Amino acid sequence: MSRLTSRPEFSAQTLSVLAALCDQPSQWQHGYALARQTGLKSGTLYPILIRLADRGLVEACWQDEPAPGRPRRHLYRLTSAGLASATGALASAAERAAEQEAAARAGTGKPRARVRPRPAAPGTVAGMTS
Amino acid sequence: MSKLTQVMAAARRFAVWLLPAARRDWLAALWAEAEEVPPGLTRLAWRAGGVWVLARGALMPRRLVRVGLFAAASAGAAWVAWPQLGVGHVAEGRFNAIAPVLVLAVLPLLSRRFFGAASPGRIGGSLRVLCYAAILALLSAWTILMVFSSLLPVKPAYQRIFCNDRCTGVPGRSSGGATWQAEILIMLLILGYAGVTLFLTSRRSQVTRSTLAIGTATGLLFGVVMYAVDPLGLSKVATNPWLPGSTAGPLVALAWILLFGGPAAAAVLAGRRCRGPDGSRPPGHARIGQGVAAGVLANGTAAMAVTTLGTGTTMLMLKSPWLLHWLNHGRHLTGFATYRYELNTTNHTGAYVLMLMFFPVIGLITSYLAAVIANPAPLDARSPSPGLPMTSGE
Repeated sequence: MSRLTSRPEFSAQTLSVLAALCDQPSQWQHGYALARQTGLKSGTLYPILIRLADRGLVEACWQDEPAPGRPRRHLYRLTSAGLASATGALASAAERAAEQEAAARAGTGKPRARVRPRPAAPGTVAGMTS
Repeated sequence: MSKLTQVMAAARRFAVWLLPAARRDWLAALWAEAEEVPPGLTRLAWRAGGVWVLARGALMPRRLVRVGLFAAASAGAAWVAWPQLGVGHVAEGRFNAIAPVLVLAVLPLLSRRFFGAASPGRIGGSLRVLCYAAILALLSAWTILMVFSSLLPVKPAYQRIFCNDRCTGVPGRSSGGATWQAEILIMLLILGYAGVTLFLTSRRSQVTRSTLAIGTATGLLFGVVMYAVDPLGLSKVATNPWLPGSTAGPLVALAWILLFGGPAAAAVLAGRRCRGPDGSRPPGHARIGQGVAAGVLANGTAAMAVTTLGTGTTMLMLKSPWLLHWLNHGRHLTGFATYRYELNTTNHTGAYVLMLMFFPVIGLITSYLAAVIANPAPLDARSPSPGLPMTSGE
């Protein structure tokens, strides 16, 4: 029953984007860099960014000074609300993953096949930064 | 830049234009970012993702559906209105087929430029769609009726009786069609109805959703009553063949009451229902404005509804003998009587134009008077003040 009611707020792909943005929350990031970090295609990444921006979790702006001969790039970073939301969601996702692994090891439940957020750096909780 | 590249860029610009304004930046961002992606398949895949985002954002939403439906309906209306071989007034006929469709296509762009985007909510968009659908249906029906009314009968006896030596041309073919005078009148009516509808449903007009709802509902009620009285054109007597005189009387009285009382009631109600953004009661001139909008909308909607339904019924009657006999139940119609009935009915539908012209004017005057009486301005508050953004009084 609890599985029905406690549906995660974000999809695994959205969590991976949030995790990538959480890496350096104060810095603006480019779309292509995010795509490389998350492994998402542009057709998946941008709708996620649009939804996050619509919810006020991500802010976007255009680059002030583009590189010569290049068009201006769009930049993204988490808002303060986005950072709080992402931190909570990533922590919950990590907890759920740990519970499922523990359950699988104990043989009391079948581990659900699910996509995990982007692997975090060793020694850190997925995507969380100081 | 090659022609193919130019065409592709133009197609992309058009597709981006189909996106909601808030999404265009995002697609531009995705496209600009492609320059940072290594050339070759990777960049191609990146751009393919952009096309996917565009398709999801632009091809699926209502906007493209609306554009597609309008294009299909316009093409259908133009096809029906295109003059056939042997029909007179070919130039006028071609103008009748093309010009209204072009006007209808350009008006929303001009409206967006001068009046802003459509007001939020479903009722504004629905009104626009209904208005356009009615005008396109009316164009086709009008053309068919105009061609029929100038058809030269095959039988010489009919020619003598119905044409009074005025008919020329080949028997069995229409000698006429639209005239320039009729075309100009039709264009003015289209401009008026589509233009006013676009304005009333735009953000800049500040007509509230409740005003639109009140005006439309009143107009539809009036339209249904008028259609029940005169479904086959406008005449001195009710043209509904199913209504005996004793039944037509109360309905005619109700129609007269709704003609003047409908916009007045709509004006008073709309003035009472409108509220400022903070829920406060807006100043008198704003309430009067809302009332007048409701009144014009009420009588305009009624006139357009009756004209479209009545002209459509008459056109279908010409095409369907079953409908003709159903409408004239219990009457034995000879060929002569049928032709005379069809001709008279077709001529009566021309009088609907009077309703299209005068009903909104009556609505304007009546609703203004009612709104002024219902919202008397205090003597010290007659100085003009800026318009107040309104919200619907829910």
